[in-house]
Amino acid sequence: MIAALRSGMMGGRLSGLLLVALPVALLIWLVLWPVLQAMVGTVYFPGTGFSTASYAYFFTDDYSLRNLWLTLWVTALTSVLRVTVAMPIALYLRFRTGSVAALVQALALFPMFVPSVLVAYAFIRVLGPNGIVDTVLVALHLPKLASPYLTPAGPIIGLVWDGLPLTLLLLLSGLGRVSIASVDAARDLGAGSFTLFTRIILPRIQSSIIVTLAFNVLGLFSAFTLPFLLGPASPEMMGPYMQRTFSDNADPLNATTQAVITFAFCAAFGLIYVRAIAKGRKGPA
Amino acid sequence: MAQVRLTGIAKAFGKVTALDAMDLMIDDGELVCLLGPSGSGKSTLLRLIGGFETPSEGTIAIDGVDVTHLPPERRPTAMVFQSHALWSHMTVHGNVAFGLKLRRLPRAEIRERVEKVLDLVGLAGYGARLPSQLSGGQQQRVALARSLVIEPKILLLDEPFASLDQHLRERLRDEVRDIQQRLGITAVFVTHGQDEALAISDRIVVLADGRMQQVGRPGEIYAEPKTAFVAGFIGAMNMLDGTLGDGEIAAGGLRLAAEGAGPARLAIRPEDIALSEPEEGRTVTVRRMIDFGSHVVIDSTLSDGTHLRIQTDKTIRVETGERVGIRVERWTVFTEGEAPRRYSSDTVRPFREARYA
Repeated sequence: MIAALRSGMMGGRLSGLLLVALPVALLIWLVLWPVLQAMVGTVYFPGTGFSTASYAYFFTDDYSLRNLWLTLWVTALTSVLRVTVAMPIALYLRFRTGSVAALVQALALFPMFVPSVLVAYAFIRVLGPNGIVDTVLVALHLPKLASPYLTPAGPIIGLVWDGLPLTLLLLLSGLGRVSIASVDAARDLGAGSFTLFTRIILPRIQSSIIVTLAFNVLGLFSAFTLPFLLGPASPEMMGPYMQRTFSDNADPLNATTQAVITFAFCAAFGLIYVRAIAKGRKGPA
Repeated sequence: MAQVRLTGIAKAFGKVTALDAMDLMIDDGELVCLLGPSGSGKSTLLRLIGGFETPSEGTIAIDGVDVTHLPPERRPTAMVFQSHALWSHMTVHGNVAFGLKLRRLPRAEIRERVEKVLDLVGLAGYGARLPSQLSGGQQQRVALARSLVIEPKILLLDEPFASLDQHLRERLRDEVRDIQQRLGITAVFVTHGQDEALAISDRIVVLADGRMQQVGRPGEIYAEPKTAFVAGFIGAMNMLDGTLGDGEIAAGGLRLAAEGAGPARLAIRPEDIALSEPEEGRTVTVRRMIDFGSHVVIDSTLSDGTHLRIQTDKTIRVETGERVGIRVERWTVFTEGEAPRRYSSDTVRPFREARYA
């Protein structure tokens, strides 16, 4: 009987391994192998040997560093803004039901179905020079406002709008672990809204917030379309910078070096994400 | 201690009426059970008293003060939730001390009161543990301690033991009753378990479809149900559809003395039927015997196939398929729009009269 059980378990293990074999093979082929190739390709050159010159160039070049700094700054600010904007909506949707909540949810998730190019076009038409805002201000004989188009604020606004649905869904998933009864219990004992949020809700969705931030950072660090269409030409975010270095400058080595550096930053946030997930699995929120 | 007065309370969720025109007075130090099936409105009523819902109509007063529109945090009530609702990121001490910290009490007083209440619920020394390190019963004790520590005037309990096993449930309900009586606190307890309600209540409020069916002492509700619903819901009961006429009710081949005419429902408790010699209109066929240890229930059928349960002494043995006679000692007849009529045979033993007094 024990032998039969063991045999069954072995069979189950084998079929489990077979199930994950294809995706793992694809992951190795399409992700890990190119990453390894890129990393090796930037430090090892057949005939001349090892060299870290391209990395030395990146970290001593003022323009590259300004681009990296801008990317970090836009990523951090956009991530915080996304969570800040999505949190009240998520709280509302978690603890309210009815037709108004359904409408709010539909509106909040709408950007998920809009391609980034359309977002950029809409942004230019609304906030760009001679856009709707400008036209309205002129019609009201009010002074024009400085347009965020082609400034660092441009991609931030676009990226916040574009990434709001995913942020909202991730926060909602985290809030799903906070039972209404636990909130009611705190209210019953005298907790106001602020205390409820800071002492009951926030500690229990910490790992969800870390996951949300990590997801945002991963996407934002290598964002291309919106920074390319709405952002400034100089300095520029890493996405457009890589593309320009590769295509316009025809410099694949430096473009790959930029990609590896971008990957290293993303991997660091990926590690935070993995740790948050592992922590979440260890115990309840 | 405090009194709760509900006057004309109604609650509707959209087009659905959850509670309808309810009046109730709960006295100082009384433990009242709200008993009813799922969807009867008992939890809604409790949430209205706690301030988690606002009534569509009517008023709620605690100690004569109208609290109808006050939020939970401004009412002198505390609720124990079915799911414990403990905060898993806080220790037992943190959970219990939460309400006291919000009241900005001195640290020493908080510690003293937390220790005292943990001792009261039998969890002395558990303060440093996390809820996840406690059993279901211990978690519910923490939830009870968390509510008691703020010294509410009214303790509200929303099916607090529903997720616990039978043995633990019985032990905890006795402990809750004991604590409630020791503190003299007014308590409202929601349950769908009739045993639980009968065991711990001073009074029971039976609810169905958002309406109050009957309010009374446990024994009174058991012995003198005012509606067919209460009769069928509280305790085991044989409910038979019948017809009144010629001074008797005919139901399922059974004929018993009763006044009136037209359709009616006949209610007979299994323990109000005794076994006797078979005779016309008073014979059943045994389907099976269910041994409960303390007593035996005979599942039988009347001549037309209607099921009839008979509770009897465990020493009595009958065989499946055997035809036995019955003698109904007490029965109630319910007719639409009229008060129930109760009857008893001449053979009713004197102790049964005293039993329901």
